[in-house]
Amino acid sequence: MNRIGIATVVAGLLGSLLLLFLAAPIVQLVGSSGADGLQRLGSDLALRDALLLTAATATAATLLGVLGGTPIAYLLARREFPGRAVISALLDLPLLIPHPVAGMALLLLLGRDSAVGSAALDLGLRIVGTPLGIVAAMLFVSAPLFVSGAREAFARVDARYEGVARTLGDPPWRAFRRVTLPLAGRGLVASAVVMWARAVSEFGAVVILTYNPKTVSVLSYDRFTGFGLSEALPVAAALVLLALVPLVLLRALRAGEPRT
Amino acid sequence: MITLESARASKGRFTLDGISLHLASGQYGVVIGPAGSGKTTLLELIAGLVPLRGGRLLLEGVEAQHRPVEARQVGLVYQHAYLFPHLSVRENIAYAGAAADLQQELIARFALSPLLGRAVESLSGGERQLVALVRTLARRPRMLLLDEPFSALDPGRRTRVRREVRALHREWGLSTLQVTHDFTEAGLLGDVAMLLDAGRLLQSGPPTELFRRPANAFVAEFLGAENVFAGTAKALGDGTFEFVTGGLTLHAVGEFANGPAHAVLRAEEITLARDQGHDSARNRFSGRIVDIEPHGAVARVTVDVRGVAIVAALTARSAQDLALAPGLAVVLSFKAMAVHLC
Repeated sequence: MNRIGIATVVAGLLGSLLLLFLAAPIVQLVGSSGADGLQRLGSDLALRDALLLTAATATAATLLGVLGGTPIAYLLARREFPGRAVISALLDLPLLIPHPVAGMALLLLLGRDSAVGSAALDLGLRIVGTPLGIVAAMLFVSAPLFVSGAREAFARVDARYEGVARTLGDPPWRAFRRVTLPLAGRGLVASAVVMWARAVSEFGAVVILTYNPKTVSVLSYDRFTGFGLSEALPVAAALVLLALVPLVLLRALRAGEPRT
Repeated sequence: MITLESARASKGRFTLDGISLHLASGQYGVVIGPAGSGKTTLLELIAGLVPLRGGRLLLEGVEAQHRPVEARQVGLVYQHAYLFPHLSVRENIAYAGAAADLQQELIARFALSPLLGRAVESLSGGERQLVALVRTLARRPRMLLLDEPFSALDPGRRTRVRREVRALHREWGLSTLQVTHDFTEAGLLGDVAMLLDAGRLLQSGPPTELFRRPANAFVAEFLGAENVFAGTAKALGDGTFEFVTGGLTLHAVGEFANGPAHAVLRAEEITLARDQGHDSARNRFSGRIVDIEPHGAVARVTVDVRGVAIVAALTARSAQDLALAPGLAVVLSFKAMAVHLC
């Protein structure tokens, strides 16, 4: 066998081992407890509530991320301005720090003793220990994924399309709505799906900000520490199945992505 | 009408600097220059897609640097068309909301009907350029900027489209500025030609003027002058010059200062003969043929004259009649007025 042949075999073997390592635990988890998890949705009220809470808070966090992240992503993709590199680094920071640390930082910012927390309390809004805390934790850890993906989606659309739309009579906002947004649309939706999936699976920051009411990830941890692996597995499997929904959506979106 | 006065603009690391040009209402200007010279940036500057950093820009005589792109009444067609891929051909043409009868007229003039039902992705490069042209024209701009808009069209269609654009330019009184690499196109279309290099305007004027009287050796060589010699010019006092290059002394006519210069001589200005004759040409040299390059009906003959290579162009029939062949001794002659000093 020549050198290239050996290299191909070794690379293939290493790749297969990694793939097996990544897939095996998930496949085993869903295979052994997936059906049980789905069955329990009918009887396990805590699991059903946790799933609904997780989906709702992740959706709220994603909406907030999309609303705030889209303009930032567009600016980063299209404009050169002072401080651009600093903003990019700040946006990457939540991805680099351990999530419990992110939770502690949020607790400092939003806790009842903080300026923001007490101002919110004055307005009748309690953040820590409520679904608002879950949304805040999810937003913090997952919004950078949306901004990063959306920035790439905008960057893939040649700015000259917008330029042509302007020469055809569109003011900037209309050119964005009629040309840039549809061309970057799939990339934006895909980034929102990734953000949502990341928000759904968040544990470290959420558990520090809001232990109760419980998201699915917190419930699965709670069952594991309180009742052992056998009680935690169906909950964990239900969480994996919930995360699979956006994953399948994402693949479908990417398959039909237009070339610009 | 498009006027730039000492205009400066930057795009990335590239800078256009000191650009002054004037295109009168209804004139057709052509911009030529090597790749990366700033031709597209110049069009984008006029359209407002690249900001003016210095100098002035006037459109229809009015200061335009702060006018939004969409209010400039400038149409821009890129070489790569930039058709919106999420819209159909028909939707692209209708993008600017033009009246249906104008759209129909343009579709008919440019024979686009067979393309209307096609997806943008299925169009060839030339078809895309045509649709982009019609999309821009459908807005009835006052000024039209074309960035190599015919480059992907086959020769037959290019001629027809070029004729149609020229006709529309006249009918609508458009001020048109077109970037082209094609010198024939520049000569055919342009009332004014402008040559850009490295972000600077080297020369502008009627295309024949650029070809006949290039401002410097770079312009001459870029425009395809076959014979560009470096040497020294010396006035003889009667309006003529002696220009010494290598072992050759050429005679030239014109206004020029004594000293280092370039002499430009177009190959088609040179006459070749087998023996010395008598005529009024001030420049007559004996040499030996080095190479004969046929180009269809024309042959380019390179002759070595005292160590200097001179290229002459003549019809292939003449070359055949004279039985020209490499190694043959010939006589070249050309008028002093054919030698341009710059």
